[in-house]
Amino acid sequence: MKIAVCAKQIPDPAISVTYADGKIVRPDEQVLDDTDRYGIEVALQLKEKYDAEVTVISMGKLGTQKGIQQALQMGADKALVIEDPALENSNSLMTSNILSGMAKLAEADVVIFGTESSDGYSGVVPQQVSRYLGLPCISYVKGIDISEETELTRQTIAGSEKVIMPNKCVISVTASGVEPRYPNFKDIMAAKSKEVEIVELSSLEFTAEQNQEFVEIKSISSNKSGEKHIDEGDSFNLIIEKLKEIKAI
Amino acid sequence: MKSLIIGEVSNGTLSSGTLEIITKAQENNLDFKLVVIGTENNPKIGSDNFQVIYLELSPDELSLSSAADILVETIKTDSIELVLASSTYVGRDISGFLSVDLNSSPVANVINFEINGSILTTTNSIDGGESEYFTNVTSDVKILIIRPKSFEASDMTLSENYTTSSVEKNDLTVNVFDVFIEEKTGPQLEDSKIVISAGRGMVDVGNLKYIEDLAGKLNAAIGGTRAIVDAGWMPYSQQVGQTGKTVKPDVYIACGISGATQHQVGMKDSKYIIAINKDEEAPIFQIADLGIVGDTLNIIPKLIENL
Repeated sequence: MKIAVCAKQIPDPAISVTYADGKIVRPDEQVLDDTDRYGIEVALQLKEKYDAEVTVISMGKLGTQKGIQQALQMGADKALVIEDPALENSNSLMTSNILSGMAKLAEADVVIFGTESSDGYSGVVPQQVSRYLGLPCISYVKGIDISEETELTRQTIAGSEKVIMPNKCVISVTASGVEPRYPNFKDIMAAKSKEVEIVELSSLEFTAEQNQEFVEIKSISSNKSGEKHIDEGDSFNLIIEKLKEIKAI
Repeated sequence: MKSLIIGEVSNGTLSSGTLEIITKAQENNLDFKLVVIGTENNPKIGSDNFQVIYLELSPDELSLSSAADILVETIKTDSIELVLASSTYVGRDISGFLSVDLNSSPVANVINFEINGSILTTTNSIDGGESEYFTNVTSDVKILIIRPKSFEASDMTLSENYTTSSVEKNDLTVNVFDVFIEEKTGPQLEDSKIVISAGRGMVDVGNLKYIEDLAGKLNAAIGGTRAIVDAGWMPYSQQVGQTGKTVKPDVYIACGISGATQHQVGMKDSKYIIAINKDEEAPIFQIADLGIVGDTLNIIPKLIENL
């Protein structure tokens, strides 16, 4: 079995995102999106069961490749990456078009994603990739049980449902399904010698197009002139008074 | 602009997100038809004012990709220019599938849109709701995925007046062998008048019993931040924020929540916000109507006792 798992490098989430001409400004050093750690964990559990090869696929500004290294440190075997000026500020369809091509290059049977990136959060890329590749899509997976067969539990509005993982499919994993592993020193050292192959845009079939024109960003003043009190043991009274005042109780 | 609304069924009728989009479409005098996707039998989703088609799917299969095949046909045959879906599990799956066939990237997390002649401008919320981001959508077919609670739904009389269309399953269908319906007790996050949410400041999962007791006293729904959902203290269905649910209750009580922008996106439009947090500098206080700087674990038990 061959698995492709998507890893996105994003600006450090602890620092506010800045925009220039409506585009997210991306520093040289970006980190692995936390959301992707869940997908990588699922890929690694499948690797252990089926002796699968796990290839990280990633698109966007490469910079120091810190995020790519973080993905390899968790235990993926190698990485395919792409950076091209034509892909800057890609919409979800352009992204999924490229990632589908990279999954093909990795000869992936199973392609795994987080449910949505923490910076773009469109939440449609896994579904689009499944459509490009003509594979079944099992979205919002919140549990995996690998025994004889691999059972996947999906989150639904009403609760959840279970399916047997098909041999070929695309999966998106929610950020609560599995516990992502932390690499130890040996893993970190081993990642340094893993292959990171840079893919040329010309080697992929690329048909998706930009379809949004940036107009403007308007800031809306949201600071309320609310009241703030330091608790001195009796602030529960204040809360009760306010709840009565606004007729909530 | 000729439009198609992708609707969803909830408890035998149209979901609140669907009703919100229909209201917005009517206010803008859009020429639209509604295609509803669901697994319930004979839901009351019809109308005498607009055309409604029901794509009834089997609960024992993942067959949304077959539903997408039908929608693509309809969009092409009817020369649809605008597709409106809700930002839900189903809405995002379907929009993703459609977008590939129509070669049109969806605009996700839309909170508003405006049409001037042939120009469609969408609004997204960024910086935790402190800024709005406007773009014009230029593709022939425009697909918008709309965040719930973006529009107010007007009262609407629904009828049995709709046609049901069968869905021929394609070879991407996957069988479901077990369906679990979560028992829903007490008020639900999306429509409760009071929401109490917990964050890391609750320190330990065991302390969530205070939140449950308080919710019981106030007849409130319970939510949580992504941090505590990731920690496994609460199911994903209770997550409030950018990657979770959007709520707009009359009262939102944030307990031990610092108020990262990702959380604020999901609750900042609540009518009255009460925040309890130890850290005086916590960003949650910037949007709170009443801020209490103190230990949630001291204050909540006293509040429960005195209510």
